[in-house]
Amino acid sequence: MLAEGALASGCRFFAGYPITPASEIYEVMMRELPGRAGLGLSAPDEISSLCYCVGASLRGLKAMTATSGPGWALMIETVQYALMTETPVVIALVQRLGPSTGGATQGAQGDVWLAAFSTSGGYTIPVFSPSTAAECYELVQQAFDWSERLRTPALVLSDKEVGMTTEVVDDATLEKIAVHERPRSTRHPSRGAYAFDDPEEVPTFTEVGGDVKVTVTGSAHDQAGRLRKNSPEVLEVLQHLQRKIEAHAEEMALAKPDLDPDARCLLISYGVTARAARQAVGMLRREGYPISFLQIQTLFPVPLRALDWAVASAPFVFVAEENLTGQYRAVLAPHLSGKQVFGINKIGSLISPTEIVRAVQGVMS
Amino acid sequence: MAESVYLAPDVQLPYCRGCGHALVVRHLSRALERLGLPPRSVVLTTDIGCVGLADSLFPYLHTVHTTHGRSTAFATGMALAEVTLDEHRLKPIVMVGDGGAMIGLLHLVHAAQLNVDITVLVHNNFLFGMTGGQHSALTPLNWVTATTPEGNWTPPLDLLALLRTAHAGFLARQYATAADLDTTIADAIDFPGFSLVEVVELCTAYATRWNRLTGKTLDEAMQRQGYRIGEFETEQERPTFIDLYRHEHGSHSASEPEPQFEEVSTRAQLEKELHLVVAGTAGERVQSAANLLCRAALAVGLYSTQKNDNPVTQGTGFSLAEICLSPQPIEYTGMESPDVVVIASGDGWKELLANGTVARCHAGTLVLLDSEVEASPSVGRTVRLPLRRQANPKRAALAGLAAWMSMTSALPAAAWEAVLTALPAGRQADTAEAIQIGRRLAESGNGAVA
Repeated sequence: MLAEGALASGCRFFAGYPITPASEIYEVMMRELPGRAGLGLSAPDEISSLCYCVGASLRGLKAMTATSGPGWALMIETVQYALMTETPVVIALVQRLGPSTGGATQGAQGDVWLAAFSTSGGYTIPVFSPSTAAECYELVQQAFDWSERLRTPALVLSDKEVGMTTEVVDDATLEKIAVHERPRSTRHPSRGAYAFDDPEEVPTFTEVGGDVKVTVTGSAHDQAGRLRKNSPEVLEVLQHLQRKIEAHAEEMALAKPDLDPDARCLLISYGVTARAARQAVGMLRREGYPISFLQIQTLFPVPLRALDWAVASAPFVFVAEENLTGQYRAVLAPHLSGKQVFGINKIGSLISPTEIVRAVQGVMS
Repeated sequence: MAESVYLAPDVQLPYCRGCGHALVVRHLSRALERLGLPPRSVVLTTDIGCVGLADSLFPYLHTVHTTHGRSTAFATGMALAEVTLDEHRLKPIVMVGDGGAMIGLLHLVHAAQLNVDITVLVHNNFLFGMTGGQHSALTPLNWVTATTPEGNWTPPLDLLALLRTAHAGFLARQYATAADLDTTIADAIDFPGFSLVEVVELCTAYATRWNRLTGKTLDEAMQRQGYRIGEFETEQERPTFIDLYRHEHGSHSASEPEPQFEEVSTRAQLEKELHLVVAGTAGERVQSAANLLCRAALAVGLYSTQKNDNPVTQGTGFSLAEICLSPQPIEYTGMESPDVVVIASGDGWKELLANGTVARCHAGTLVLLDSEVEASPSVGRTVRLPLRRQANPKRAALAGLAAWMSMTSALPAAAWEAVLTALPAGRQADTAEAIQIGRRLAESGNGAVA
């Protein structure tokens, strides 16, 4: 479904390298792209995969690759290049149990920090986290949309259990998004590849190979793409890279609240664990226990407005995620001051609805 | 030298006095002029190092300054996009040093294998100049560098010899000082596929400071290494990536549409979620059987999820699938306690013991166990069936699932019909027979209840 969503987004280029549990996306793209005016290529490693995608995107194509934690580790250099050169590209990161090669066939949600904090300087890369096959289809379109609109790399952070579980999907209910194209007007053709009037503005894109000369560099540069040192304009460009994302943070921050006005506790989850959490919420409510639930679909930028709204009347907050250290709980912590925050964490297998129910009841009763 | 539209007319070259890089950019400019390539049809993709300063010297060309060693990979991506767009204008020219060539060696090898239409100019000055003259993989024996003060003792890599084995179509090695370097570069750019020129240079900041080097001694060093100078069109007749892709793409027929899958009018009588596990031996179509059951469930209006597991080697040991069937959309796809367990082989049984499934069975769990498996589940209700013997090992899992369906009222038998009609013609008879065997085993009471 993730591959289908990419194709529906207008993705025409995919370069991949096999890795469990992301290989199925690679295989579908290789099979489908030639018949859909696209090109799928087997790269010799993950570094090449992403470089090929970025090169293709510089030429003007929507491009994607898919990998898992070990491959993502190799791609981080090129993700930073895409960020610095404002090149749209989408990466599907299908998590498995780490660290290192870890457990190839075991699911996990342990790459949240690795995905979000992969750039020097701590710049925000949009990260979307699907919990079902249908959400894979929808959120990869969101990733393409924001990647194109903001000229940024974007991630779909899936995991083995979402990515490799076969499930029935009602295609009549699948959400299709009108994925934008990168802004292409040639308003500032003479001012270069990175020209903006306002730091929040996204520079118009001119493809390499077109009639307007393009200067691209991963080094600190001015608005014309020229390498500069000790120039105030360079710092302005660097600030712009973050400000263009922040300016749209609330728009791209997707979350699904299921709130109960009487609830004193809020359960937060994302990705595959959100499925167990939804079921646990149903179980608790059937027992007459009021509880609110918030599924985060955009992990980064953090959906602060939805979070503030959901947490307002709940002094107790639970964050369920399949990792050892509560990675997203730590991300949320600064926004949960005054609340009692508890983690529901586990590695090695899915967190079950019963485990969530027990954890909540253990604190609340 | 006549100035051109390529190199800025009043250009101040940013290189040290005597550095070969200056000669390369001048010869490149001449080569482009000779070929008459429109400036906007060329993208200079530059690497890290002094070589990466070339961007600003060519104000009319597209320039992409990349990360260390990756210049070839980004250029390859652009060339591949050009093929995708079915345009044949853009010519990527890569400028990389000997350090970048080594860190990005894989990209050079793959670009040569693909035979994409890019030209790589390797500025080989035998060391890392920008960072202080450190040893590189191409440093000749006995050379003094910042990191080999006693002289280099690791044999240098012959880049051209290596790329020949990757089927590079055009390879050349030439001195930066050669008067006809522009001809070599023009020939490389004109070559319709992967081409690479190794330009042999001296780093005047470090190499000539620490080593007694002149044009003559450099030539001697090259001879000692067995390096030949000149153009070597090794596989000129090789089809380019575009040819290969068109050939493949032209013959690419849309995959045969799957036969239409239609729901049947009979509906399932399932009120709550049902959890099944089917386990057997890798290569014995265990997961395929599970998939057929999920399709059958879909045909009678149920939701389903299927999670597979097998050893990382795929083709050996166990193979299993966990299935959840439900009248409502399924949230949690894990399995706290199975309702039905089908065990088609000893490998399957051993894994279910090891992964804790057996221990998680409840009193009502129905275990359908192949008669040949030496096992004695102490939980649930066990029925032994001669699945392997009657259906054969590759159909045992499906026969087991069909047997279960006959024993339950949850799924009507009509569910299988939809599955069978949606199968490719070649698989229908075999699948139908396996289902029939399973049904018969269940209905004849052939199973021994343990």
